[in-house]
Amino acid sequence: MALLEYALVGGILYGVFFSLVGIGLNLVFGVMRMINLAHGQFIMLGGFGAYLLSSHLGLNPVFGIPLAVAGGIVIGWPLYYAVVPRLQRSNDPEMLSFILFFGIAQVIEAVTLLVFGADQHSLPDSALGSGNIGVLGQDFPDSWWVAVAVSVLCIGGLYLYLSSTRLGFATRAIMADRDEARTTGIDVDRVAAIAFVIGLSLAGIAGVFVPYMVGSVSPSIGGGLTTTSFAIIIIGSLGNPLGTVVGGLVFGIGTMLMQTYYASWSNLVPYALLLVIVLIRPSGLLGKAVRSA
Amino acid sequence: MSSEPLLRLENIEKRFGGLIVLHEQSFSVSAGEILGLVGPNGSGKTTTINVISGVLRANSGRILFEGKEIRNQPIFRIARLGINRSFQVPKCFRAMSARENIEVAATFGAHAPVDVDAILDEIGLLRHAGEPAGSLTVNQQKMLDLGRALATNPRLLLIDEIGAGLNPSELGAIAALLKSLAARGIALIVVEHLLEFLNRITDRVIVLGAGRMLFEGSLAEASRHPDVVAAFIGG
Repeated sequence: MALLEYALVGGILYGVFFSLVGIGLNLVFGVMRMINLAHGQFIMLGGFGAYLLSSHLGLNPVFGIPLAVAGGIVIGWPLYYAVVPRLQRSNDPEMLSFILFFGIAQVIEAVTLLVFGADQHSLPDSALGSGNIGVLGQDFPDSWWVAVAVSVLCIGGLYLYLSSTRLGFATRAIMADRDEARTTGIDVDRVAAIAFVIGLSLAGIAGVFVPYMVGSVSPSIGGGLTTTSFAIIIIGSLGNPLGTVVGGLVFGIGTMLMQTYYASWSNLVPYALLLVIVLIRPSGLLGKAVRSA
Repeated sequence: MSSEPLLRLENIEKRFGGLIVLHEQSFSVSAGEILGLVGPNGSGKTTTINVISGVLRANSGRILFEGKEIRNQPIFRIARLGINRSFQVPKCFRAMSARENIEVAATFGAHAPVDVDAILDEIGLLRHAGEPAGSLTVNQQKMLDLGRALATNPRLLLIDEIGAGLNPSELGAIAALLKSLAARGIALIVVEHLLEFLNRITDRVIVLGAGRMLFEGSLAEASRHPDVVAAFIGG
């Protein structure tokens, strides 16, 4: 019974964090109708940002959060305007965006490999608290709770942005229909560029905690994180950022249950869930119910 | 009504690759005026309003709105200037409620505050305000599309075949609504196949054939014009 409780509580914590991992990808897809195949690499950059701050400047890794936001702005804004409007004027923007973002992913990975080498890097455990916090008699390290708290704040912030701000209203309109949004007077490129920046920033913020939740950061983890994020947003609901939370929880609990009972099979969880969802409910678990709410 | 036209097209040409779909189009519309655009399928009616609303870019010529060139402006800026449109196949934010559809347009397209309830009432959807647009009938979606355009406080409205599929009583209601909009000073360019409907709301039409302006005047005169007859029934 204790094992099951451990798996469930841990799964919820892990799932909330992985909601943050996937949510930026879903926001970008919802607004731009493009899959950012470099999403995992942007998460990885966030991890290396935190590693640099911690190991070279002696700062607490949480300062990686403002660094991730700054990185999101500095990279996301010019990248959007350099490529996205041009892609969207092409005959096949989806396919071209796959190729483009795949290329960007390769470049980020190669540059990171050159700068940091192929080694895995971890962050000091004590930086986010050296104790444990228990729920239902199950202890989890402070770092997990900090990661979960930041994830909840980020997801809640995104929810408030989308539901309560003028820009968020425009963002929802673009997610509903990009062409119609233009006709209603929305500067679609500006709003979408902001969403792209937010998506990259959220990826970077998730990256700050990857060394704690996954164990380490290395240049090669980006591809796996993109795949996991993609599975999570398909499970939740593609194009509906908040559906990511459902996907994240299903993934987190599924992974922890497998790690607890069949550890060697746990890496298959995202792929198995992805297959099951695509077969039985292609619109995702939340599907249309939330989109039309 | 001001003597200066609200919208003036000067020698507008639009090409798709090597195919010229609009040849040297020049006409104007004044505030409060309803102009009908008629012609057989493929004559360039929808392309004309696509070019005016910024959905398509003209290859040459000038489009002057209140004397200012708007030919290369993006769609959202043209919408904010006061030009809006409805679509032949109604477009709306299907996942949003009818009210939210109007609110989006009122929030981002209009310069002055807009009475969302009044617009919903005007288009007959006040009772359906909370329903997702995607669950409305096609005709209701057409009205919502028109309401969405109205919510941007347009001074020029481009209406693309709103009459198709409507019954006589619905056509009567739409005709009355369009005339009331014109009476408020809004200029309308109405693309329509239903000539009787068009005859009810305007006596000025432009007939297009293969992208060329064949005739400008009243519908009654148009029906006797040899070029128009040839374009419609082959000559």
